[in-house]
Amino acid sequence: MLTNTGPVGKLYLSIIDDVIESMRELFTDEGLEDRVLDDLRHIWESKMMQSKAMEDYRKNNINSSNFVLQLPANYNRTNQELTASVVIPASQNIRSFPMKNNSGILPTFSLPAGLSYPVQIPAGVTLQTASGQLYKVNVPVVVTQAPAGQPPVSRPAQVIERREAPNPPPHASRPPPREAEPLSVPAASDKQPPHTQTSCPPAKESALPQQPLAPPAETSRPPGARSPQPEVPPGESEPTPPPEPVNLSMSASPCSQLLDQISTEEALTQTGQLRTSDIDDILKEVIEEERGKAEMARKTVNHSEADLGLDLDYNYSELSDIVQLDGAAGNSDMEEEEAVSLEDNDFLGIINAEAIKALQEGGGSSDCNSISSSSDDEAADELTNVEDEDPLNSGDDVVEQDIPDLFDTDNVIVCQYDKIHRSKNRWKFHLKDGVMCYGGRDYIFSKAVGEAEW
Amino acid sequence: MKEASPLAHSVFEVILWLFILASVSIMAYQLYRNTTLGNSLQESLDELIQTQQITPQLALQVLLQFDKAINMALANRVRNRVNFRGSLNTYRFCDNVWTFVLNDVEFREVTDLVKVDKVKIVACDGKSESTQNKNDK
Repeated sequence: MLTNTGPVGKLYLSIIDDVIESMRELFTDEGLEDRVLDDLRHIWESKMMQSKAMEDYRKNNINSSNFVLQLPANYNRTNQELTASVVIPASQNIRSFPMKNNSGILPTFSLPAGLSYPVQIPAGVTLQTASGQLYKVNVPVVVTQAPAGQPPVSRPAQVIERREAPNPPPHASRPPPREAEPLSVPAASDKQPPHTQTSCPPAKESALPQQPLAPPAETSRPPGARSPQPEVPPGESEPTPPPEPVNLSMSASPCSQLLDQISTEEALTQTGQLRTSDIDDILKEVIEEERGKAEMARKTVNHSEADLGLDLDYNYSELSDIVQLDGAAGNSDMEEEEAVSLEDNDFLGIINAEAIKALQEGGGSSDCNSISSSSDDEAADELTNVEDEDPLNSGDDVVEQDIPDLFDTDNVIVCQYDKIHRSKNRWKFHLKDGVMCYGGRDYIFSKAVGEAEW
Repeated sequence: MKEASPLAHSVFEVILWLFILASVSIMAYQLYRNTTLGNSLQESLDELIQTQQITPQLALQVLLQFDKAINMALANRVRNRVNFRGSLNTYRFCDNVWTFVLNDVEFREVTDLVKVDKVKIVACDGKSESTQNKNDK
């Protein structure tokens, strides 16, 4: 509608091209490298792609998809039935999708509508970006579908490193041009798939958001275990996924590619289960790591607030108690407990409590006074006052959530007028060369004629 | 002949000058900077400025170039027609810029229909061949 199909995206990309090319000479005159201009282009394109304005561009490329997969010539759909996993067949014509790896932005992909998720991209597949860069998938990649609008998750680099480090060196048992390997063979062959090194370009690594499967978990599996398997049974497939950004999840399988997949369903489910448990383990490890770091950071913060060599645990517990109590709505029991705990506390503990309250409430002088005193009564009174003020101050809170939403849904048409006519309260508009943003999506027209009553 | 040639020469110069003027200063409203494309460009330029990869002056040049490119693209590469109907909530005409707010609008193209409960139209003068750069929100 309103040229919201592919042409809008194409027009935008052509405009981007025009601008970038026309600025190239100027950038050179300024003494800037081409890299800067390319960065600008990448950032601009990635923002456009991420916005829904280009959604239809992606949508239209989904009937074909948005990234180029060069699959082996004889890779066909029959393997899907065997493998019980969904693979992107070579028959799908897929257009390229820019991968913004240079700027560190995670690329998002949209996959063909005909595919059901999760989708497994076998190793040996080559991804081609819009800019023509080729990334070869040496390890099977499982693509899961993320909820709409979910930004790509950036994984910590450590995870990626961890995953990369223990990767065993690639076995030489396979010929490098995997693409040539026939897929229909697998039913007969029973070879042991080699380990494949995650030798994807680092940019590709940065594209792996959510489920980084560390090879250690994978290598622990007996080598006899075959195939790169589906993470999820095919029953979870969705028939026509909307054009949402999809996060690539990398599954580093010691077995290489679906090409070798012999697949009995048992083997698949077994390995799938193994894989799922490995995934869970790895996820837990990552989460615990992150938690540990957060706690360490928190403890160091607490320590700095105390400003003395207090025991970290002590500080943390005091602060946490106080923080929680402040959050309570004027419960008398809580006050008593708090007063008691304060009485038992060190002078410094009181200072910490007051400091935190001061931070929370932004109150200045009264807190300073209480801090200067060391009496518990005053501290208790202060707490009472603080709690009474909380409900009052809460009215000052500005709910800012609505404002961005209002701006987001403000549908604006930016155009030029040929003629605006009014007769009594009937208005007629003759507009041209307009861009309309509605619901985040963009529409374009060369001429628009409208009527309205005022 | 000698008398005529200077005159012809001057006419030629005038025409040439007009041509140059027209090509250099095409109508390039800054109107389209408040589109998804324009806003994302401005954000990208801001990022580069913050990392001091480009100067603000250069960013301004980029935006000016963007204005020209999008004006030309819309004028030359888009060919479709839309009809719409709704109720007019407010209208404003200031500095040769019309601003309307319409409610319950139906946009109709040949193929399909889009209904919008509220839309704001900002329109610059499309007939003027002047080289003004109109700033619009």
